[in-house]
Amino acid sequence: MMSTGLAPTGIGTETGAIIATAANQEENGLANLRGIALPLGLAAIVLLGWQLAVTLGHIPPVILPSPVSITHYIIARYDILLMHAVPTTLESAAAFVLATLLGIALAILITYSRLAREALYPNLVFFQLIPKIALAPLFIIWLGIGSQSRITFAVFIAFFPVVIATTAGFANVDKGMLRLCRSLTASEWQIFTSVRFPAALPHIFSGMKIAVTLAIIGVIIGEFITAQAGLGYLIIFATARADTEISMAAIVVLCVCGLLLYGLVALGESIANRFYSADNS
Amino acid sequence: MQSVTSMLSINNEAEATAVPAPLVSVRNVQKTYFTRQAPVQAVASASLDVSRGEFVSLLGPSGCGKSTLLMMIAGLEQPTGGSILLGGSEVKKPRRDIGVIFQDATLLPWKSALDNVLFPVRILKLPIEAYRRRALELLNMVGLSGFEHKKPSQLSGGMRQRVSICRALIHDPDILLMDEPFSALDAITRDQMNVALSEILETYKKTVVFVTHSIREAAFLSDRVVVMGGRPSTIALDMKMPFPRPRRFDIEETSEFAMVCRKLRLTIEEAHQGPLPAQTSVQETRAGETRAETFEGGPA
Repeated sequence: MMSTGLAPTGIGTETGAIIATAANQEENGLANLRGIALPLGLAAIVLLGWQLAVTLGHIPPVILPSPVSITHYIIARYDILLMHAVPTTLESAAAFVLATLLGIALAILITYSRLAREALYPNLVFFQLIPKIALAPLFIIWLGIGSQSRITFAVFIAFFPVVIATTAGFANVDKGMLRLCRSLTASEWQIFTSVRFPAALPHIFSGMKIAVTLAIIGVIIGEFITAQAGLGYLIIFATARADTEISMAAIVVLCVCGLLLYGLVALGESIANRFYSADNS
Repeated sequence: MQSVTSMLSINNEAEATAVPAPLVSVRNVQKTYFTRQAPVQAVASASLDVSRGEFVSLLGPSGCGKSTLLMMIAGLEQPTGGSILLGGSEVKKPRRDIGVIFQDATLLPWKSALDNVLFPVRILKLPIEAYRRRALELLNMVGLSGFEHKKPSQLSGGMRQRVSICRALIHDPDILLMDEPFSALDAITRDQMNVALSEILETYKKTVVFVTHSIREAAFLSDRVVVMGGRPSTIALDMKMPFPRPRRFDIEETSEFAMVCRKLRLTIEEAHQGPLPAQTSVQETRAGETRAETFEGGPA
């Protein structure tokens, strides 16, 4: 800790901060435990209720299979599920990456070009009001039945939150900081890399987190319309054959894939935080 | 009252200096903002010379154009008339021989104190390693050794402003321009910062133009105080501070200091045709009593 010879202002805030941190850590430990135990507990209760309702209520599996039978199916036919999970996950990941790059590029354009800001931005917002899912079949007409049409459609519905969040992040930069940079004769590029972009990172990641879920939705819708493989295809195929168990199993796997992609974004965010967080790490 | 004026009249106008060309030369500078309604004249006409090594304060109430004048010297704003010379060449845009300190510390929140001090080195593409030692020296000088790797959120307001002073000094500019650097700090910290700043300037000799609305602060720190006032504003008084250096806080208890402050206040009041709000004068006279002996974070 600090030496005791310091004047009141310094030592007061420093000690206060250190004590608060220690207390917070203990509280955080408890909060983390609650944060894990409570949602898991609730999920377990719901699953148990589901299982009991299906068994005691004699609900036919075609209407609603029980959690146990779904689990059995996943374990027994994991090879088929995996085979369909791979293209869905890869296409979602590709769409997400493209949506992020496109979103950030458009945000840079909107931030630095007044013409783009005035001409493009209102149109982007208007564009967002179109129920985009209604356009999905058109992408098949335009781009064919291959993965390119599904990926393009997924990019189309996923890029918007990245543009909005990143533009807000770029605009959110402290004006005093920009003035300081100008006083140091910094170039626009230096200001962008050393101030604007790092300051916008939290915004960019929040946009990316929304984009990753939208990308998966986009790919699944594409698979609903036309595909020879993929979890969306499996769901449509199984439902048409009234094989609800397979549908449910595919949905569970889809959740796992979504969680995986979301987890990768969150991991990227925590790595970025190590360098660009205001707190000491 | 009359005795006060007569005693100080010898210092009234800055005497024409015999030294060579001044480092900063502000010549008939005007600034008019063109708004939608009508043009607003912020600075009617200002002329001012600052010699190398001199500490000059621009003093006046809020909105008197003193910050505008400073931003024009920094090259961050363009005068609408007149010219500003620095070291013989006209200031048209920001230059690397100028260091600016703003009211807010404006540190990068994700960078450590040391990296914030080194920020100009990165921007100016100077060798980082060579400047690291100087940065550590500067931080040590302002009493922040041990805090080099703390981020701004872990530092107090006074500490953050000290980091920003180090940042302004790191690339060794000829002139420091300070825009109300301590006005966001509490009275006690502000007094400590005044002492810290005069100590820093004893070590790193710099030419300083300092904007403040505190009469006491201007009188304590400066070689010369320039009072700006009126609407649109002009320079109402350019006065030498007759106190020897190095200065300690005890000069504030002398009657000479009180008279200087009085003269400055009377000039400000005159320029604005009416007494200042009571709060300002109370703060000016009372702040001296609340000064602390050591400055926060410094070696005891």
